[in-house]
Amino acid sequence: MSNGALQVARTGLDAQNTKMRVIANNLANVNTTGFKRDRANFETLAYQQRIMPGAQSDAANKFATGLALGTGVQVAGTMRIDTQGSVQTTGNALDLAIEGPGYFQVELPDGTNAYTRAGNFNLTAEGQLVTPDGLPVVPNIQVPEGATSITIGADGTVSASLAGQTEATELGRIEIANFVNPSGLRSLGNNLLAETGASGAPVVGAGGEEGRGLLRQGSLEGSNVNIVEELVDMIETQRAYEVNSKMIQATDEMLQFANQQL
Amino acid sequence: MDKMVHTSLRAMQGIMDRQTAIAHNMANADTTGFRAEIVTAQSLYLSGDGLDSRATTSEVMPGADMNAGAVKSTGRPLDIAINGDAMLAVQAPDGNEAYTRRGDLMLTESGLLTTGDGHPVLGEGGPVTLPPADKITIAKDGSISIIPIGGDPNQPQQVARLKLASPVGSDIAKRNDTLFHVKDDGVLPSDPDASVTTGALEGSNVNMTQALVDMIEASRSWETQVKLLTTAQQLDEGGASIMQMPR
Repeated sequence: MSNGALQVARTGLDAQNTKMRVIANNLANVNTTGFKRDRANFETLAYQQRIMPGAQSDAANKFATGLALGTGVQVAGTMRIDTQGSVQTTGNALDLAIEGPGYFQVELPDGTNAYTRAGNFNLTAEGQLVTPDGLPVVPNIQVPEGATSITIGADGTVSASLAGQTEATELGRIEIANFVNPSGLRSLGNNLLAETGASGAPVVGAGGEEGRGLLRQGSLEGSNVNIVEELVDMIETQRAYEVNSKMIQATDEMLQFANQQL
Repeated sequence: MDKMVHTSLRAMQGIMDRQTAIAHNMANADTTGFRAEIVTAQSLYLSGDGLDSRATTSEVMPGADMNAGAVKSTGRPLDIAINGDAMLAVQAPDGNEAYTRRGDLMLTESGLLTTGDGHPVLGEGGPVTLPPADKITIAKDGSISIIPIGGDPNQPQQVARLKLASPVGSDIAKRNDTLFHVKDDGVLPSDPDASVTTGALEGSNVNMTQALVDMIEASRSWETQVKLLTTAQQLDEGGASIMQMPR
C-alpha cells in the first residue's frame, strides 16, 4: 500500500538529510585552505494530475480548477559557490593565494592535470615545488640547492638568489588556469578539482592577465565557509526535517485511527 | 445509509489528497522560488432520487500562493531574486514558454543559461547562450553583460537580457512540469519595469506554521469522517437487530 502523503513526506526527509550532509561537509572544511562551500540544490518533483480543469463535475457543470498533486522534492545536485575566501598572511615564502579567479595546476600521478585554489606549497628534497600531498606544480618549478629568498611575483614569476650571485635568477613562472564555467569543475577531494565537459577547457596564462587573479606571496586563501551562515542553514534544515517527520506521524495516526475504529 | 458511507468515503479520499498537498508544501519548504499549493474542497451536488441534500466533496487547487518568499543573500553572481511579482521566462520541457520565480542560474557545457532545476532561461530572443567570458554580470534590469576572454575589464558588453514577464491580469497555473504556464497556452508580456537583485535568492514561500495547522486540521476532519463511518455501521446493526425474527 502506497500512501501519497507518507511518500511525499519521505522525499522531504531524504532531501533534508542530504542537505544536512552538505552542511556538515562545509563545516568540517571551515579551516581547509582554498575550500569552496557547496550548496544543495532542491527541485520540486513532477505533479500528478488528478482532476483536469474543465472536466465534468456532474452532468451540467465542469471543474473550474483542477487537482494536480505534487510528489515532493529531491536534491537536483550540489553547486560549488566560488566566492573568494579570506586571504590570511602567513609570511611563508612558498604560501600563495590567488586574489580573483583562477586555479593552480598540479600534476596527478596518472599524468593528467588537476586544479586547486590551495597554495600551501612545499619543496621536495630535490627542490621541486609540490603540494603538501607531493603533487608537482605545473609547469615544473625547480629550486636549485642553496637558493635563498625565493620571490614569487603577482604574475607568478619565481625568482631566487643563488649562492655566489648578486642578482636574482628567474626560475620559471607559475601559471594560472581559468575556466569559462568554474562551477562545472568536479571535486576530486584533497583540495583538488578536475576539468569536465561542463567546465570547459582551461585557459592558462600569467596571473593578472585576461581576467585571471593576481598571486600574493606569503598568504593563503582560507575556506569561504561562513560558520554563522552554515549554522543558520543547519537549524533551518533541522526544523524542516522535523516538520516532515511530523507529517509522517500525522498521516500514520490517521490511518491508525481508521484501522482501529472501522 | 449506503449513501452516507459513500459521502464519507469520498470526503476521506479528498482529505488524504489534501494531506498529500500539504506534505508536498512541507517537503518543498526549502526549494528555491517554490510557490505553495492551495487546496480547497468544493461540493458536488448529485441529482437523482430522494432529497437534494446529498453533496459529496472534491478537492481542487484553485492555484498557488503567489506571495513573495524570503530573500536570502548568497553573494553568487548568477543568483538573482526577482523583485515584485514579475516572473522569469524559461523554456518548459515541451518547448513552450513557462514561468518561474527560481533564480539560481547556472551555465551548461555549451554556455546555455539554465535555472537550478535545468530549464533554459529565455531572453528576449529565445534561450540565452553566453560566449566564453572572464566575467558575467546580471544588472538590475535583467540585462546580462560579459567581459569576453582577454577583453578589457572596463568595457563590459551586453549580450542578452532576461525576459521578466508580468503575470498581472493573466491566468497562470502550475502544470505537471512544476512550472507556471498561461492557462490557454499564451505568452505573458515583458515587464519593462521589472527588476532583479543580484547575489540573492528567493526561498520557498511555504508558511510552516500554516502548513502544520492545516495538517492537524486535515487529520481531525479525517477522524470525523471515520466517526461517521462507524456511526453508519452502528445504524446498520441497529436496523438489522430490530428486524431480526424473535427466536
